[in-house]
Amino acid sequence: MNLDRNAIKAAIRAKVIELARALKMDASGIGDEDVIPATGLLDSTAILELVVWFEQAYDLPLRQDEINIDNLGSINAMTDFLLARKGRAPGS
Amino acid sequence: MPFPLHVPRVNNNDDVVKITDLSVKEGDFVRRGQIVGSVETDKAVVDVEAESEGHVLKVIVRKGDTSPVGSVFLWLGAGADEPIPETPAPMAATAATVAVAGQPTAKARALLKELGVSAADIPCAGDRLTVADIENWLAEPGRGVSSRSRAPAPETEEIPDVDGEYEELSPEAHGMMMTVQWHRDRAAPAYLEIEYDTGPWQEHASRFAKRHKLMLPPLMPLMALRLVEIAKATPRLNAAIVDGRCYRYRPVNLGFTVQVGEALYLTVVRDAQDMDARRFLDAMGDVQRRAMAHKLRASELAGATIAFSSMARWNVSRHIPILPPRTGLIVAHAAPRDSARAVLGVTYDHRLLSGFDVVRALERLAQPPEADL
Repeated sequence: MNLDRNAIKAAIRAKVIELARALKMDASGIGDEDVIPATGLLDSTAILELVVWFEQAYDLPLRQDEINIDNLGSINAMTDFLLARKGRAPGS
Repeated sequence: MPFPLHVPRVNNNDDVVKITDLSVKEGDFVRRGQIVGSVETDKAVVDVEAESEGHVLKVIVRKGDTSPVGSVFLWLGAGADEPIPETPAPMAATAATVAVAGQPTAKARALLKELGVSAADIPCAGDRLTVADIENWLAEPGRGVSSRSRAPAPETEEIPDVDGEYEELSPEAHGMMMTVQWHRDRAAPAYLEIEYDTGPWQEHASRFAKRHKLMLPPLMPLMALRLVEIAKATPRLNAAIVDGRCYRYRPVNLGFTVQVGEALYLTVVRDAQDMDARRFLDAMGDVQRRAMAHKLRASELAGATIAFSSMARWNVSRHIPILPPRTGLIVAHAAPRDSARAVLGVTYDHRLLSGFDVVRALERLAQPPEADL
């Protein structure tokens, strides 16, 4: 598991693009701060798939109350949340 | 003191399950929630979890066994050397399995009752007396009990006169087949639909999502919860016809379809009638995530008393769902993209509900609650 910040962001972006492609949407231009549910690129099932992938890829079991916009709403938010939970400084 | 872990019930129809996996052995220490094996029925494969931590004193079942629901799966103890009570040992477990041989399946029991015939009168071709056994018996020349309206099923189908080979159905596909057969053979399914204005619901869901900073759009779960509230207020909707009588359920267990790859699960949120909106959404979110990971618990795959399904993702304009066994209705939501038209439909058991009952329920469902949640 690579916990380098840029590697995490790249992995999340790749997953978002993959899930969007399955819905015939192009997410290649998504920004790090874009609120993923608000972009309209992913439907509710795809967002759920993203969350489950995130849990499994980073061995990060989530409580339901942690699944919110503040923690997982954007590529940057997901990265910060992961690094904080793994005990790494978000900026490192 | 030793304590047993029992073979779980996976669904109401199956009184026995097949042991498909054992992941612990005697002497192992297991933690609460640890998976110790898995069992299979026609409908699903589910994990068996340890309900408490402890040392495995004795594993009673064996991989490949067919075991009665409620029999002892294994014994656990606080210490590794505790003696277990005098209970079925491995051979005795096999005997317990054998003890159910010849007993009618749930469907066969219902048919025997309908016919007024004793199971003892009918030869059993396999381990259990099945509907097919009864129908073969009915088809025998000169059989007195021939007043049953439906024709006996053909014994076997002819193999097509085209080269090919059989492929075993997956547990999910087999479960779907059994559901469809219940819909065909047991219910009197009917379908109707209404168009509705999505605006008020979209606004309601949007406000809810913003207030609670939700990651997942809450529209479908909130509509499902509205269905629960309507069913709670109208008990005849939360019922089924069983043995020719109306069986009214006490809890409202909401079935909600989740497509994961090629598998379609009817996941179940139990006792939904007592939940507020936030708790219901959290419960549904938990179940959906476990479905995505193929880690549903047995209790999350059975016991739906009412159901909700949406195929909005596939952009269909009409979706007529199959009625889940022993339910009275399933709501179908369809909202084609780039269309002002959205549809709420219902497949319902016409033995239980009239079109009027269903339209009234749909009209209420089409409107979000007046108060924000």
